[in-house]
Amino acid sequence: MLRRYIRLLGVQLRASSLLAMQYRGDFLVEGLISLFGSATALAPLFIVFQREEMRIEGWGFGEALLVIGWFTLLQGVLEGAISPSLTGVVEHIRKGTLDFVLLKPADAQFLVSTTRFLPWRATNLLAALVIFVYAFHLLGRSPSPVGVLASLVLLATSVLLLYSLWILTVCAAFYVVKVDNLTYFFTSIFDAARWPAPVFRGTLSFVFTFVIPLAVMTTFPAQAMLGRLPWSSLVWAVVGSVLFAFISRRVWLHAIGHYTSASS
Amino acid sequence: MISVRDLRKHYQVHKRPPGLMAAFRSLIHRTYTTVKAVDGISFEIKPGERVGFLGPNGAGKTTTLKVLSGLLHPSGGEVMVDDHVPRHREDAFLKKIMLVMGQKQQLLWDLPPSETFELNRAIYDVSRAQFKQTLDELVTLLDLGDLIGKPARQLSLGERMKCELAAALIHRPKVLFLDEPTIGLDVSMQVTMRTFIKSYNERHGATLILTSHYMDDVAALCPRVIVIDKGQLSYDGGLDALVQRVRPEKRVVLRLEQAVDVARLAALGKVVTHDNATAVLQVPQEAVNTTVSRALSTLPVQDLTVENAPLEEVMSELFAETKARRETVSA
Amino acid sequence: MSMRGTLRAMPTLLRVGVSEAVAYRAEMFIWVLSTTMPFISMALWTAVARYAPVGRYTSADFVRYFLAAFVVRQMTGAWAAWMINYEVRQGTLAMRLLRPISPLWAYAAENLGAMPLRLVVVTPVAIAAVYLQGWSSVPQTVWGWAFFLVALFGGWLITFLVNVALGTLSLYMESSTKLMDVWFALFYVFSGYLYPVELFPPALKGLVDWLPFRYQVGLPVELMTNKHDFWTALTLLGAQWLWVGLLLLVSVVLWKRGLKRFAAFGG
Repeated sequence: MLRRYIRLLGVQLRASSLLAMQYRGDFLVEGLISLFGSATALAPLFIVFQREEMRIEGWGFGEALLVIGWFTLLQGVLEGAISPSLTGVVEHIRKGTLDFVLLKPADAQFLVSTTRFLPWRATNLLAALVIFVYAFHLLGRSPSPVGVLASLVLLATSVLLLYSLWILTVCAAFYVVKVDNLTYFFTSIFDAARWPAPVFRGTLSFVFTFVIPLAVMTTFPAQAMLGRLPWSSLVWAVVGSVLFAFISRRVWLHAIGHYTSASS
Repeated sequence: MISVRDLRKHYQVHKRPPGLMAAFRSLIHRTYTTVKAVDGISFEIKPGERVGFLGPNGAGKTTTLKVLSGLLHPSGGEVMVDDHVPRHREDAFLKKIMLVMGQKQQLLWDLPPSETFELNRAIYDVSRAQFKQTLDELVTLLDLGDLIGKPARQLSLGERMKCELAAALIHRPKVLFLDEPTIGLDVSMQVTMRTFIKSYNERHGATLILTSHYMDDVAALCPRVIVIDKGQLSYDGGLDALVQRVRPEKRVVLRLEQAVDVARLAALGKVVTHDNATAVLQVPQEAVNTTVSRALSTLPVQDLTVENAPLEEVMSELFAETKARRETVSA
Repeated sequence: MSMRGTLRAMPTLLRVGVSEAVAYRAEMFIWVLSTTMPFISMALWTAVARYAPVGRYTSADFVRYFLAAFVVRQMTGAWAAWMINYEVRQGTLAMRLLRPISPLWAYAAENLGAMPLRLVVVTPVAIAAVYLQGWSSVPQTVWGWAFFLVALFGGWLITFLVNVALGTLSLYMESSTKLMDVWFALFYVFSGYLYPVELFPPALKGLVDWLPFRYQVGLPVELMTNKHDFWTALTLLGAQWLWVGLLLLVSVVLWKRGLKRFAAFGG
C-alpha cells in the first residue's frame, strides 16, 4: 500500500518537473522574483532594529534574524510544494473536474496534494541558509549539533502543520462557492510567523500557539538552534503537529462527504 | 450488473431573488427550496448492454450517472453496480468503471496526453504489458498517431475528446458511463466516436450507459433507451418501440421532378414540408402502402423513401406529453 | 461612448457592483479576515515601543496608527490587475469590449461597489479606535477631515490606476501578475502599511516622498491620525494628486495601445 503511494508520488513529481521544464523562461524569472521577495521581507526587521542594542522581548537582531530565516524557508515550502497543488482544488471545484479525482482508485487528498510542485522556490532554501549563516556570524557563535538536529525535527513538524492548515483552509472551498482569495488569506495570516512569538501577548499569543501555531513553526526552530528550546516544547511540537494532521484529515473527509451529497 | 431501485436525490437550493434590498436581506436570512433532481427511478441493466438515457435538460440524467459512479450519495433508494455499492467508493469498484464527461476533461492541460495515460496507468495499477497492448489498440482505433505527444492545450476539441476517451479506457473499465461525449464535435468526429464506442463494447463486452442530446448518437448506439423527465422514469425499452408508441406515423419523403400543387399533396396525406423539388408527407402506418402507390402513380416522383419521424421530434413530443400529463395531475 | 452616456450608466453599474459584493458573504468574510497585517504590525510595534517610544510614536500612537492602517487599506483596495489578467487569458475581455462602455469604468464600478460593505466593516474599527485611544485617532479639524477624505480617494485612485497599468501589460506579455507581486514587495517596504514611513533611516526618508507607495496608504493614515500640520498636509496632498495624474496618463495610454494590439493579434 505504502509502496504504491510512493510510486504514485514519483509519477506526480515527474509530471510536475516536466511541466516546470516546459516553461524554462519562467524558471529564471520566478526564481529572481522570489529572491527579491525574500530580500524585501527583511526590511521591517531592519527598521525595527535600527539601533544596535535594540531588543524586543529579549530577542536581539541576530536572534530575530534566525526567526526570519525559518520564515523564509517555510515560505519556500509553502509556496513551492503546498500552495500550488491545493489551489488546484479550488479550480477543480469551480470547473467541476474534482469528479475526475474522486473517480480514481486512490486517496483524493493524496492526489490533490501532489499535483504540482514549483522547483524554483528552492531559492528560498538558499536565502534561508544565507540568513542563518549571517545571523550566527553576528551572534559570534555557531549552533550546537543537538540544536541543529532538533531544528530539523521541527522542520518536519512545521511542514506537517503548514500542510494541515492549508488542508483546513481548502476545505472551506467545499462549503462556500467563491473563495478566490484563499492564498492571499493564508499568506496574510502566515506573515505573523516572521516575528519571535513573545512579541504577541494575550489572546494573540494563545491563537498563535494553539489555533494557528505560527509560534511553533518559526520561533521554536530558532530557539532550538540557539540551544534555548526546552525538551518538553519539542515533544509538544511533535504531538501537536500529529494531532493537527489528524484533525485536518477528518475535516477533509467530512468536506468530501459534503461535496458528494450536495452537488450536481 | 446494474440494479437501481427507487433512487431519489434531493437538493437544498438557496433562493436568491434579484434586487439590492433582497441581496442585503439574504446576508442575514436565507430561504431554501428542495429540488428533486431524481424522484424514484428503478431499472436493471445486464452486462454488455448499451443503454441510452434520454430526457430534457435538468431531467436528472447526469445526476443518475453520478450516483451510479459513486460521485453522489443518493437521498434514498438502492443502487448496485456489479455487486458493489457505488457510494462506498471501494478501490475495486473504481477500477471497474469510468465516467467520461463531454464538457469537462481529465487530461492534464499543459502536458501531452501520453503523460495523462502514464499517470492513469500508475493510478489504476495496470501492468506495463497490458498498458502497451491497450494503448496500441486505442491509438490504432482512434487514429491518435502523434496527437498524444502534443500538449493537450494545442489540440483541437475533437482531437482532445479522442484522447480523453483513450485516457478513460487505459484501465479497460467494465462499465462505461458517457455523459454527452460528442457535444461540440463536428459530424465526422461524432461518427468516429460512435463507431469506436460501439466496437469497444462489442470487443470487450463493457456495459455502456450514454446520455446525449444528439439523437444520432442514441440511434446508432443504443438499442434500449430509458427516458427520464423531471426526475422520473417515463419510458424504458427499445428505441423502435418508443418511436412506434409516440409517433407511429411514417414519413413519406418525395423527390419531385417538377413543382406540384399543395392541394394535390394534401389529398394524399398531411403535408409536413414542401417546396419545388421535395415534399414530406406524414401518414398513419396503415395508410403507407396506399399512399406510396398513389404517389407513384399520380405525381411526378423521381425518388421516394419511407422513414420514421425524426427522433428529435419524437422526443419533444414525448416530453410535451409527459409535461401535459404532469400538469393535469397537479391541476 | 459619450461621457454623458457613461455617467448615466454608472449608477446601475455601481448598484450591480454592490449586489455582487453582497452576494458572496463567505468570500467577504474570508477577505476581511485576510487583512490581518495591520494587527500583526500593531502587536509587533507596541512590543517594540513598550519600554521607550520609537521616534515620536508611543505604544498608544502605534495602536492608533495601525487601526487607521486597517481602515485605509480596506477603503483603498483594488484588484483590477488580476481581473484583467484573468479576462485576457480566458478571452472574456473580448466580450466586455463589445459593450459601448469602456471596461475600465466597469472595473472601477465593481471595485467601488465593494466600498459600502467595507465601510460597514471599518466603521466599528474606527469607533473602537476612538473609544480605546481617544479622539486623536481620527481627524480633529474640519480641514483634517476634508484632507483625509481627499487623500483616501487619491489613495484608492493610485492603487486602482496602478492595477490598471500593470494589468494592461498582460495585453503585451503572457501574464503580468508577477509584476504585481514585485509592486507589492515594494509596497510593503515603502508604503507605510507595515510601519510608519517616519521610522525610515534619514538616508531613505527622502526617497519615500518621491515614490508613489506612501501616497497609497501612508498619507491617508497619517492624515487620519493627525500627524501633519496644515501646510505639510497640503503639500503632501499635492504630491499625491500629481501621482494620480501621472498614473492616469500612463494607464490610459497603455490601455488604449494595448487594446489596439489585442485587436490586431486576436483575443
